[in-house]
Amino acid sequence: MSDQSFLTLTDLSVGYGRKVILSGVNVELEMRSFTALLGPNGSGKSTLLKTILGITPPLAGKIRFSPIQGREPVLGYVPQREAFDTTFLLSSFEVVVMAACGRVGAGRRIPKAEKQRARECLAQTGTSDLAARRFSELSGGQKQRVLIARALATKPDFLLLDEPTSGLDAGAVQLVMDVLKTVHSAGLPILMVNHDLPVVRRYAQTVIWLHNGEALQGPVADLLSRDRIEEVLKIETGA
Amino acid sequence: METFREILDPGFLLRNSVYVGLLVGLACPLVGTYVIMRRWIFTGVALPQVSSLGIAFAFALHTWLGISHFEGSEQGLALAGSVTATILAILLLAFMERRGKGIVEGRIGTLYALGGAWSVLLLLKNPYGEHGLLDRLKGEIIAVSDSDLIISGSAFAVVLLLLFFFHKELLLVSFDREMAITLKKNVLLWDIILYLIVGITISVAVLSVGPLVTFGFLIIPALAAHSISRSMRQFAIISATIGLLTAFFGFALAYKYDLPVGPTDVALLGVILALVFLGNQLKGLLSPNRNA
Repeated sequence: MSDQSFLTLTDLSVGYGRKVILSGVNVELEMRSFTALLGPNGSGKSTLLKTILGITPPLAGKIRFSPIQGREPVLGYVPQREAFDTTFLLSSFEVVVMAACGRVGAGRRIPKAEKQRARECLAQTGTSDLAARRFSELSGGQKQRVLIARALATKPDFLLLDEPTSGLDAGAVQLVMDVLKTVHSAGLPILMVNHDLPVVRRYAQTVIWLHNGEALQGPVADLLSRDRIEEVLKIETGA
Repeated sequence: METFREILDPGFLLRNSVYVGLLVGLACPLVGTYVIMRRWIFTGVALPQVSSLGIAFAFALHTWLGISHFEGSEQGLALAGSVTATILAILLLAFMERRGKGIVEGRIGTLYALGGAWSVLLLLKNPYGEHGLLDRLKGEIIAVSDSDLIISGSAFAVVLLLLFFFHKELLLVSFDREMAITLKKNVLLWDIILYLIVGITISVAVLSVGPLVTFGFLIIPALAAHSISRSMRQFAIISATIGLLTAFFGFALAYKYDLPVGPTDVALLGVILALVFLGNQLKGLLSPNRNA
């Protein structure tokens, strides 16, 4: 593990139950990196992300985060927006303020400072005007920015996003990615699952490409060059 | 008015029945908001039946072991049977859901059918079955002793305190369990606390008003409130208000027209749900954005 690395995955195997989706994953992410996680459907992108987050237990191997000022890093997670049940009558503000649960003890009321922090995060993602709107009634792009605001409200040391631009129109993609670019410029490392190659080329610095149960890692310029894409696709299709 | 005056009189003979009805009318709809949000409606149908089975089994066990019945032991016995069966069933369903195998609705439907069938069989073969037990399971809220009221009141007070103090955690785990895990929350523990809240509420309510009325108060006020609420706070307040008003006016109607209280309450809840539905339809028709 180098001095600059933030997250190291060593011989990691991920999957559900006894089903191994990915094995022998060795990846090192650097501080301040903006990494895109690519791969075809079913390649294990979301499973790998959830394993890193601690949502799904690893089947084998190690996940190691560098301590931040002597403590465990806080992980800000932006899940797929379709994952939420519309039955919950929550406003965007209430969704964002949930992030305070990581710092406010059980049974205690959320203090004013935490509510203020939630408002600031909504402002940071350009969604202050949506604070009182019901979360389930927002458009895809609006929901995505509110979820990024919620992840920021956790005061994260690392931001992990699961397909943040999937299904959005060009304008909404631009808004979401501009927010991510801003927070990354402020020093927040990002790991993002994304299918959209033009978006990845434009915003990410490094790529982890999952194929045939393995993970390739490299700079965007190398891994997403025309020759390299053709090479990887040939391996995947067996052509 | 005369009926209301009579019911509200502190010396009213059936005052404990009114109080227990109001407690059920307050607690069940509040717990029902979580039942609706977690989409446990089918579970909400099955668990009161299982709770009844627990009561019937406890009484059958009493008989099989040859222990003589006396008034003081009945309530404790019924409560033990009801709570044990409900908590076991809810934990079993949760465990099977976590394993992710089989059809969820199939398991719940089976539990409902078996719970109902075995309750009847156990009661019919119990010499004490006809003595109050069947009435209890049919929702006849008439004979509520002071000790019954104290037990129900204490249990519902615990449930309401848990809901009030841990609302933030229960909502987080219900809305986004993955987020809760990343925030280092003990999701399993909070799920178990919610299961216990639902289980205790159902057990005590079934013991007081029977499975039909319990399910009615658990689901219908929350369903009606959900369609007219704009926030979680409104959802909880409107659900509880509908429950409380129904419990009071339902009792008054049943008392005045000599009807069974439980079914009257549920019928009244049905009327409220229908009125809310019609109101929403009318609002939709009159909305200026309708043709936009």
